[in-house]
Amino acid sequence: MDVAGLIDTSTGRQSRAIYSDEAVYRQELERVFGRCWLFLAHTSQIPKPNDFFRTYMGEDDVIVVRQKDGSVKAFLNTCTHRGNRICRADRGNARSFTCNYHGWSFAPDGALAGVPLENEAYFGELDRSKFGLVPVAQVAEYKGLIFGCFDPAAPSLEDYLGDAKFYLDVWLDALPGGTSLVGETQKMVLNTNWKLPVENVCGDGYHLGWAHAGAMMAVQSMDLSGLSVGNSSANLEGGLSVAGLNGHMALTSLDGVSGYAFYPEPKPMLDYLEANRPVAIERLGKTRGEQLWGSQINITIFPNLQFLPGLNWFRVYHPKGPGQIEQWTWAMVENDMPEQVKATILDNQCLTFGLAGLFDNDDGDNLAACTEQSRGWRTAQMDVYTNMALGRSGPREGFPGDIAAGLVSEHNQRYFYRRWQEHMQASSWSEVPTYNLNPLASREAVDA
Amino acid sequence: MLDLRQEPALHDAVTALTQRLYHEARLLDEERFEDWLELLCEDVSYHMALKSRRFRADRSAPIAVGAGNVFNDNFARLKLRIDRLRSGFVWAEDPPNFVRRVVSNVEVLPADKPDEALVHSVVVIHRNRIDGQTRLLTAGRTDRWRKGGESWFLAAREIALDHAVLPDSNVNVFF
Ligand code: FES
Ligand SMILES: [Fe+2]
Repeated sequence: MDVAGLIDTSTGRQSRAIYSDEAVYRQELERVFGRCWLFLAHTSQIPKPNDFFRTYMGEDDVIVVRQKDGSVKAFLNTCTHRGNRICRADRGNARSFTCNYHGWSFAPDGALAGVPLENEAYFGELDRSKFGLVPVAQVAEYKGLIFGCFDPAAPSLEDYLGDAKFYLDVWLDALPGGTSLVGETQKMVLNTNWKLPVENVCGDGYHLGWAHAGAMMAVQSMDLSGLSVGNSSANLEGGLSVAGLNGHMALTSLDGVSGYAFYPEPKPMLDYLEANRPVAIERLGKTRGEQLWGSQINITIFPNLQFLPGLNWFRVYHPKGPGQIEQWTWAMVENDMPEQVKATILDNQCLTFGLAGLFDNDDGDNLAACTEQSRGWRTAQMDVYTNMALGRSGPREGFPGDIAAGLVSEHNQRYFYRRWQEHMQASSWSEVPTYNLNPLASREAVDA
Repeated sequence: MLDLRQEPALHDAVTALTQRLYHEARLLDEERFEDWLELLCEDVSYHMALKSRRFRADRSAPIAVGAGNVFNDNFARLKLRIDRLRSGFVWAEDPPNFVRRVVSNVEVLPADKPDEALVHSVVVIHRNRIDGQTRLLTAGRTDRWRKGGESWFLAAREIALDHAVLPDSNVNVFF
């Protein structure tokens, strides 16, 4: 299906059909979820041999398993005999996975290890080596984040992430201890197309003061980079909308502390930032160490991974048809944080971005209604717009990407849809353009 | 002296606490949140843990830092949730959803403190939402209610949510 007419990046237009059309969705499963590197699990979630974690790649059920040698493998969670689901637990530790249907059992490395009545019923003629679990074509890790990719022809994970690593590292590599995801997975069903929450978090600072006005009023101490309740004011100097990085985005404030402004009692977090700031500066350079580390940042890795240093939540969206997703959220911590800070972060999800989070609970119905309003005979032919601050972006000294000023701009969303269109139009990776706009000249530029 | 190990006291407590749970459910259905707060002890704890589906035989180590919670609230935090709901800016609740609680399976047992009772119950929350769809949320509750004067007040509630994936887009309700 040709999606050339469905997105117009130059005007910020999207056809609403992209949120409801079944054919568009089938093509997304192939060309977006079947092709891109997708987040599978954090290394902290499967620390020991035989630890496993169950997730999805698009609509495909996948198990991620830590191997004896410490490496990680991922398999389609489906029996090679008659297709039954192999693993029904969310996570755990297992020496083997045994299918419920006829009892085939698979080793943690995917090998078919046991077949009931192998000699009696198969007459010893079953070639077990042909019936191991089907591996995900590529699995790779970037600083604790394990990704999988169904496309053997995809670029390496490092190349896929490209210059977005400049922003990723603000979270993943500021301190030597690395990061972890903590807590069980917070799962909820949202009746939304998967792209709407991604566009919301990748760039939509505009909705904060309005959609979340009730929560912002209740939690009076919260002031997010100059955005105020009721959208009565916005300070565009305090932040950046960063895109033009192969579909990855960052939306960041620049004060080095605002991430922790959402915590009711931020002192221990601010003390932690102050104590570790010199190390962060040494590792990340002055620009990132002073201005980004500790700031509220929304990071998006195309297509469906988003995490927010500061608010400290980490999220993937699993599509379930064009009109539904499962939204999975965890709390995330830096391993160098004192235990008290980690516990506060995990606990704060109850209040902000968990299942009953005061902020999270404002978004679902808006996204669902945007989806619903794309399903009608007439509405499916209509358009929606991300045309705020069109043409007002460019390079910014010290930061890679094509950058618009402020957290309120629809700059990032336009790049998200541009990337989506590029993938949807390409029949293979060789037709997908690569762009890391305004790269930093050198390592020295990073440290400037 | 209240002694729930004795027949007449227990019988009276069962009646009073069952009525208390029904009353509480009606206050919440009618969004009489301030009246609901009056039923809570000042040191109330209101808790719902996050869970995952695990094999019965699974012996993997507990998650460092903890499993996390949906609610881990004290009085002030519950009040904060109510302040938000009362702000007039919670668009998901305006027009109001049709919310009705069914409380059942009430069991009253003596607690370790003489002026408290342990109360098990089940709550089913019916929400007919703005999109016209109905969601049902089911949870088991283990409460501690404390006797104060002639009334009972909620000192602690442990809520076991019976959904691996929350079948709704928010939890703007109390259990
Ligand atoms: S389907 Fe798995 S053993 Fe037959
Ligand atoms: Fe939001």
